Amino acid sequence: MLSAIAARRRGSGLGFAMPAILLLLAFFVVPVAALLTRSVTEPEPGLQNYVTLLGNSTYARIFFNTFFVSAVVTLITVLIAFPVAWALAIMPRRWAGVIFAIILLSMWTNLLARTYAWMVLLQQTGLINRSLMALGLIDAPLQLTNNLVGVTIGMVYIMLPFMILPLMGVIKKIDPAILQAAALCGATKAQALWRVLVPLAAPGIASGALMVFVMSLGYYVTPSLLGGTANMMLAELIAQQVQSLLNWGMGGAAAFVLLVVTLGLYAVQLRFFEPGEGR
Amino acid sequence: MTAPFLHINGIRKTYGNVVATDHVELAIAEGEFMTFLGPSGSGKSTTLYILAGFQDPTAGDIRLRGQSILQTPSHKRNIGMVFQRYTLFPHLSVGENVAFPLRVRRMGQDEVAAKVKRALSLVRLDGFEDRMPAKMSGGQQQRVALARALVYDPPVLLMDEPLSALDKKLREEIQFEIRRIHQETGVTILYVTHDQEEALRLSDRIAIFNQGKIEQVGTGPELYANPATHFVADFIGDSTFLAGQLAGVSGNRAGLRFADGTLVADVPLHGSGHAGQAAELMLRPERIELAPEPGAAGASLPVTVEDMTFLGNNTTVAARTSWGDALSVRLNFGHPLSGRIARGDSLYIRWSPEAAHAFVRG
Amino acid sequence: MLLDFNKLGAWKWALSGICALMALFLLLPILFIVALSFGSSRWLIFPPPGWTLKWYEELFADPRWLGAALTSAKIGVIVMVLSVALGLLASLALVRGKFRGRAVLRAFFLTPMVLPVVIVAVALYAAFLRLGINGTLPGFVIAHLIVALPFAIITITGALETFDPAIEDAAILCGASPWEARLRVTLPGIRHGLFSAAIFSFLISWDEVVLAIFMASPSLQTLPVKVWTTLRQDLTPVIAAASTLLVALTVILMIAAALIRKGKSE
Repeated sequence: MLSAIAARRRGSGLGFAMPAILLLLAFFVVPVAALLTRSVTEPEPGLQNYVTLLGNSTYARIFFNTFFVSAVVTLITVLIAFPVAWALAIMPRRWAGVIFAIILLSMWTNLLARTYAWMVLLQQTGLINRSLMALGLIDAPLQLTNNLVGVTIGMVYIMLPFMILPLMGVIKKIDPAILQAAALCGATKAQALWRVLVPLAAPGIASGALMVFVMSLGYYVTPSLLGGTANMMLAELIAQQVQSLLNWGMGGAAAFVLLVVTLGLYAVQLRFFEPGEGR
Repeated sequence: MTAPFLHINGIRKTYGNVVATDHVELAIAEGEFMTFLGPSGSGKSTTLYILAGFQDPTAGDIRLRGQSILQTPSHKRNIGMVFQRYTLFPHLSVGENVAFPLRVRRMGQDEVAAKVKRALSLVRLDGFEDRMPAKMSGGQQQRVALARALVYDPPVLLMDEPLSALDKKLREEIQFEIRRIHQETGVTILYVTHDQEEALRLSDRIAIFNQGKIEQVGTGPELYANPATHFVADFIGDSTFLAGQLAGVSGNRAGLRFADGTLVADVPLHGSGHAGQAAELMLRPERIELAPEPGAAGASLPVTVEDMTFLGNNTTVAARTSWGDALSVRLNFGHPLSGRIARGDSLYIRWSPEAAHAFVRG
Repeated sequence: MLLDFNKLGAWKWALSGICALMALFLLLPILFIVALSFGSSRWLIFPPPGWTLKWYEELFADPRWLGAALTSAKIGVIVMVLSVALGLLASLALVRGKFRGRAVLRAFFLTPMVLPVVIVAVALYAAFLRLGINGTLPGFVIAHLIVALPFAIITITGALETFDPAIEDAAILCGASPWEARLRVTLPGIRHGLFSAAIFSFLISWDEVVLAIFMASPSLQTLPVKVWTTLRQDLTPVIAAASTLLVALTVILMIAAALIRKGKSE
């Protein structure tokens, strides 16, 4: 009887997934593959797009901007997210709930709305500059937008929740008794932090950092609104090549580089930090 | 009188309106194996956590060699502890786990190596230094935890139900190891368990916890032979309670009258009471004899047989008094009565007077 | 002890302080926009010299804003329905299916989420130009569906994995056909997952900007595209008003999601 049910349930097999598979094949796999193909066929067959992309100092600058900003954003995000995730994991519930709600609110608020707010806050006559001047910390307004400082601030703002939430889950799973054991063994708070808590949270930190780094590499909206055209990043380069210059070959090549790096890091993530396999 | 080695002095811990421990008072001698025995929520673990410094008492003091340790943070108390759950540092090898307390004390490399080797040898895990905790059985992990807790020679070792996650056979094996280690090291051990057999097997003395208070402290035989309260009598060993009324109290001895009029005279009375007050007679099943005719006056009661269960070395007879209290009696294999009694038989139970205790109903 | 908040001593205050500062950092831009949208300064001076509703009046007076919002809502609802439907079928296959390569298929379904949106946007832009559906409603729906589907699949597979298939077997033993069993037993059992997937899918489509920028046409603009194009011209307070309404919508949807979660735990 049970085998009869199992046999009937075999109906819910691959066929069910077909609509989604076909949709993704037609409107995701094929278009992306076509775009990447254009990188070696346009304007004429060959690898000249890649030669230009990897040999030209303008593009080198863009790659540097992209990786540098992503690395700095990741570092700052980790430094803020670790203590916050730690506190959230152990705080009295009511406070944690309030902070949690704020994190979710910021995460789900429209991306453009948030970026717009930072554009206004960071401009020369914006609240940040005027507050700093009022406090006497600076004499003249700082240049905070249309450069990589603005991009970094805006990106950290966007990435924080993506780091805090998973890290909080990892820290919550650590048995407090292990830290009690460390204390009784004679470890001071600092020793327990560096020798026990941080190593135990390390898989979560590494996995979150990787995710933030990958997301930062391909980010488009914030860099283009806060960075200005002089400080282009990779995603903007792709958009610009395709939209303004109609240079599909070059855009495809840049997209290919971004795709390889992203999928490579994603594979690392899956290989080493799949939830449950960590430790 | 000199100060006790470890003095738990009137420890009280409340969470809001909930009282976790209430005036816990205990003096522990150096090298003693003291067990806190009680049901869950009886305050035994709370007392241990206060000793470890994980919780602060609402009132009271804890003194080690006459010095209060309450103001000392956990990491400076120099106390060892083995936990109920596995608390080895999962990112460190066995050797590094045991070395951890020495490393945070900034001990020299050679000394660390020597001490780790000795500690692992003590728990019979020689050569396991490079093993990772995740690759070990639960029993092995707890032994490493024991080595880690002893490697810095703490004066006191706390053990919070360290064997409760292990199966029965392994538990007995490690109990044996713990006894051996206690004898070899002479460390003072405070051991928490809810398993009376484990407590009896391991301890020099046992403190029985109930509802945040210590009901009685004593050696296993003392507690068994002379329980101070109904709770202790019930918790240590099997016991039968028969409900009656106090009839004539003099000092700490009293008579008990049952519903059928039988009077049991001159029994040790625990708790203060007056004639007419409800009380119970406690009997150990192995001290009760079943017989076809009554015994000496005041040490015998008529009962009706309800059921018999053959259990190998004995037959357990379930019987009931005329007023409805249930009791059980064991007949050893080969007892003249076994095989000759049937359900509904009217028989008598008899006991030696020193085996009975009376408890006032609280 | 590091995981016992009350035993952290001075560190407790340090951690709380960092948390408070971070919460302020996250909250600042949101509160700031809301305040600006009611401020009377066209130059976004803060604190505003006076309070006004004129930016909201300007917002509602411009039919293009309302039109963009309607377009976004229409696309969002269609994407929501399709995403939940396709996501449910795909999840049934992933969780209940017995075929080989399910892990690979799952990874495949999630790739649109991992890939930078800009690559998807550029690739779809090229494909849609060729198909002639660039800037049309079907174009928007397909594009948004590609990025919303992974989230729906994650949410629904999560719900399905915690739903015991033996309950479905029981319904079949009671005489229900497999389809009836799924419809009457499994679907109600995972309804919280389906609701969450619906809210996620709608929000993703509603907020999506990169794909939309590439395929927007003068005739069909979503709300984020309208914000984007306005933003690139000047930082008018009208955007603050529009943003405030978006924040309000977020709050409402968050409360709805919280209520769903609460209903699930009860």
